[in-house]
Amino acid sequence: MSAFLSGIGAALRHRRLAAILWLSLLFSALVAWFPIKALVAAFDEGAFRETLVKGWDGWALLSFWESRGVEIRIAAAAVAGALLVFALLQIFLTGGVLRVLVAGRRRPVFRPVVAESAGLFKANLWAAARFTLSSLFWLGLLVVLPCAGLHRLAKDAPPHGTAATLLFWWALLGGLLVLFNTGLRFDLARIALAREDARDARGAYRVARQRISGRRASGIGIILFWLAVFLGVQALFTSAGLRMNPRTNGAVTGLFLFRQIGFFLLAMARVGFFASLLAWEERRRPAHSVIGSASGGTTWNVSDPISARAPASASPETGSSVMTNGSALLSS
Amino acid sequence: MRRSLSAAALALALAVPAAALEAPRKIVDYDIRVSLDPGTKLVEGEETLKWTNPSDVPVGELRFHLYWNAFRNDRSTFLRESGGQLWGGKADTGKGWGYTDVTSMKWEGAELVKGARFESPDDGNPDDRTVLVVPLPRPVAPGETAALAIVWKAKVPRVYARAGYVRDFFFFGQWFPKIGVYEPTGRRRRTDSGWNCHQYHATSEFYADWGDYRVTITLPEKFVVASAGALVAETKASGRKTLTFEQKAIHDFAFSADPRYVVVEDVFDPAKDVPKDEIARASKTLGRSGADLVAGFHKVAIRLYLQPDHRAFDRRHIEAQKWALAWTGLWAFPYPYAQISIVDPPEDGMGAAGMEYQTIYTTFTKTYLSHWPLDRLYVPEMVTIHEFTHGYWYGLLASNEFEESWMDEGINTFTEFVMVDRKYGPFLEVPPGIGFTDEEVNRAEAALTQDHDPILSSAWKYAGEGSYGRNSYPQPCTTIQQIRNLLGEETFWRVFRGYAERWRFDHPTSEDFLDAMRTPGNPYVAALIPKTWYGRGWVDFTILDARTVPDDGFTGFDDAEKPVNFDPDPKGKGKEPPDEKRHKGPWQSLVVVGRDGDIEMPANVVLTFKDGQKVERMWDGVGGWIKYHVTSTSPLVKAEVDPERRAVLDRNPWNNARYTKRYEGPSAAAKGRIYALHLVEILLSTLWGIL
Repeated sequence: MSAFLSGIGAALRHRRLAAILWLSLLFSALVAWFPIKALVAAFDEGAFRETLVKGWDGWALLSFWESRGVEIRIAAAAVAGALLVFALLQIFLTGGVLRVLVAGRRRPVFRPVVAESAGLFKANLWAAARFTLSSLFWLGLLVVLPCAGLHRLAKDAPPHGTAATLLFWWALLGGLLVLFNTGLRFDLARIALAREDARDARGAYRVARQRISGRRASGIGIILFWLAVFLGVQALFTSAGLRMNPRTNGAVTGLFLFRQIGFFLLAMARVGFFASLLAWEERRRPAHSVIGSASGGTTWNVSDPISARAPASASPETGSSVMTNGSALLSS
Repeated sequence: MRRSLSAAALALALAVPAAALEAPRKIVDYDIRVSLDPGTKLVEGEETLKWTNPSDVPVGELRFHLYWNAFRNDRSTFLRESGGQLWGGKADTGKGWGYTDVTSMKWEGAELVKGARFESPDDGNPDDRTVLVVPLPRPVAPGETAALAIVWKAKVPRVYARAGYVRDFFFFGQWFPKIGVYEPTGRRRRTDSGWNCHQYHATSEFYADWGDYRVTITLPEKFVVASAGALVAETKASGRKTLTFEQKAIHDFAFSADPRYVVVEDVFDPAKDVPKDEIARASKTLGRSGADLVAGFHKVAIRLYLQPDHRAFDRRHIEAQKWALAWTGLWAFPYPYAQISIVDPPEDGMGAAGMEYQTIYTTFTKTYLSHWPLDRLYVPEMVTIHEFTHGYWYGLLASNEFEESWMDEGINTFTEFVMVDRKYGPFLEVPPGIGFTDEEVNRAEAALTQDHDPILSSAWKYAGEGSYGRNSYPQPCTTIQQIRNLLGEETFWRVFRGYAERWRFDHPTSEDFLDAMRTPGNPYVAALIPKTWYGRGWVDFTILDARTVPDDGFTGFDDAEKPVNFDPDPKGKGKEPPDEKRHKGPWQSLVVVGRDGDIEMPANVVLTFKDGQKVERMWDGVGGWIKYHVTSTSPLVKAEVDPERRAVLDRNPWNNARYTKRYEGPSAAAKGRIYALHLVEILLSTLWGIL
């Protein structure tokens, strides 16, 4: 089965995992809820209540924007806070999600995800820091510096000439390519941590490099595939949500539920992406350490950890002993 | 004697016309020959200037604008005011300086340059070199025409504001030694004659006398030249070419040169390009027949000089230009010239973008605005309409932009948003259906921001660039919109067109426009003008209170001390409060409407009841508040002042309505909360693509 199909299958099977991710999204967004609630409370108090219920009112929103500077700044700060909370939550949860995917557990998942996430959080946080730094470094080296040089060379060239076009596409495609590369290695490092191929971020990054070696393009292909799915779902639901334009309180509730379906599908896509990457990574592992089948109908005891910690003597970089360990766990 | 009599008569005729002019009074006649070296950016020029003294007094000195000296060094008034930055452009202090040096000026064989001096009439800046005062060996008599031979050299500045070069793109605006305006008594309501020749400011540059121009430009053959006027001659020799352009009855002359220009030519044909529904609308509103309105229209040649990377915008600019020609022709008067040239500056020369000159202007194009979803941002069209229509409000009605910048920018922005909104609807629209109209954007800037200046001030005397901007663009255009709402469509547009027709080819002042607006005798308009043009007045309508209670009839002691509808026993339970939900009526409602600020204007007050009935009352706006007591069979659910949004100067439109507890309609806040939550979720979920 291809990595793509594995991912799609996992996305459909692991709906509970997707639910956890969706809840993390909703929970993070709710950080901004009260400032937003206070901000838009004026919608019901003023002259534009009925026109806003009917739909768009440019003058209402322009004048609102101009006259509510303080409330808007508070809401913006809350949104920034929500972003931070969400970023930390994703770094936290991804470890647990990957562990559960590796284990193939379909239920229960909430407590195992939280428990395993907690165990992996420190290493994942370091991995995220390395991802950030390496992205900045490679973006600087491969995108910003060449672009700055090209910009300097083409300083006196007309706009949108060959140099400018090259510069634009290099900045766009080069930037994306760098992010895909650093992102792929980051994700594989997290998989290495989840599989206990490594005990820390540094080792995990080393394992990730081994996995990527020679198969970078197909790994990025997985990212692109799921990115397309992600964007498609987002565009579809955003567009449909805008068209719905609810005019009753009930319809507003309906819109909320409809839109959450969209976000839930995005969470499923995220699960599918990780499952695809796990399947892809599995094929890149040394032949003697092929992971056991994840589908065994095993039952999960919440008191058990998904994986016993790798023995201290295990070499975290080779992965073989860890895989044996993982296989044993899967059949436990 | 006869000569002096006829000269005096001519001077009088040039001074104050009693009625509209059929053609401008010719004061100047320029014959300019200029040569450009694109490599060194140096310009050599000669001009023969014939200037007629329009006053009834002898003039002993001449004054000239040498605008490019604004870019001579960092001590010029322009650089000091702008700080070397304007509209996002930044002065190139490395090699971008420019200048104009008059090397010779002769009149009747006498060299005048030796006695010339620089003056700074506006700010006294001793380092500013933009106004040259030239004493004459003898005064120019009233009505006499002096023919001067002027030789000058100049260096083109690197463009960051209006004129200059970038690479091999050149824009020549305010580029030649240009005589100031000698205003005779009565011109622009002057009580004495004298020079009106201001320095070059960061915020203003326009005021000149009418005349004829013949401009001969020599430059390398590869250059495409866009110019005011019409090309009348072209010769080529030794890799260079010489082009001659002529234009009569203008007061400014600009041109541009760039070897990369793609020239798109079209013709405005009134038979095809004036929309029938617009003729019908204008005819009905102005009370004139359609045939009368279109009588003065004629074909106009449109030449668009596009950058090659902006080809996708050719139709967008052309269509906007045609619409502007049609609209201004109907609502002001038909464009009198035979051609219009539109210059599209390159994106690294945007300092030259969005500038108005007569029969030529620069527009604004960015390639990203051709791609979805930004192609619904009609900014290029808006700029094309805006800059062309300047040709009316600074051009054909040649106001003094130095001293009354609102007459150019404010009236122009008003007509711009009328045109833009009618043709494009919300001009900033992403995604479809969600956007803002041009009028809304300007109204928001005007009504909802505070400031420290009245509208009327000299451009360089505002508190700052922001205050200049507010009081030259959105505040006057929104105040004119307020006058339009107060006068009503028919009255306003008839007055507006009357003003335009009366003052075309002339030099109107603020009071000329305001007098026209006062003509219908609307007291609110008369009161509004001093509070906005000469003051900082404002207005805010608000619903101070709106409540509704069941009317249970009489309660208390009657005249015989008999308790009615209540229990007088101190230990008793008392009367049960009325059950509002079951109450069948009647209801007593109280609404208090307030008006804050010092601008008085009438407003409609609408009370809406739960059964759908509405009660409307027109409040004259006099006094700070008004109370309405209403007895009704249904409870009051909403009170609103100015629901038609006619008070466009209202500083806070959000307090114009209030709902009572009896209102049971859907919640806009709930909808807003959900949309905002979804936006946050969309934003957060993008992190799933990264982390």
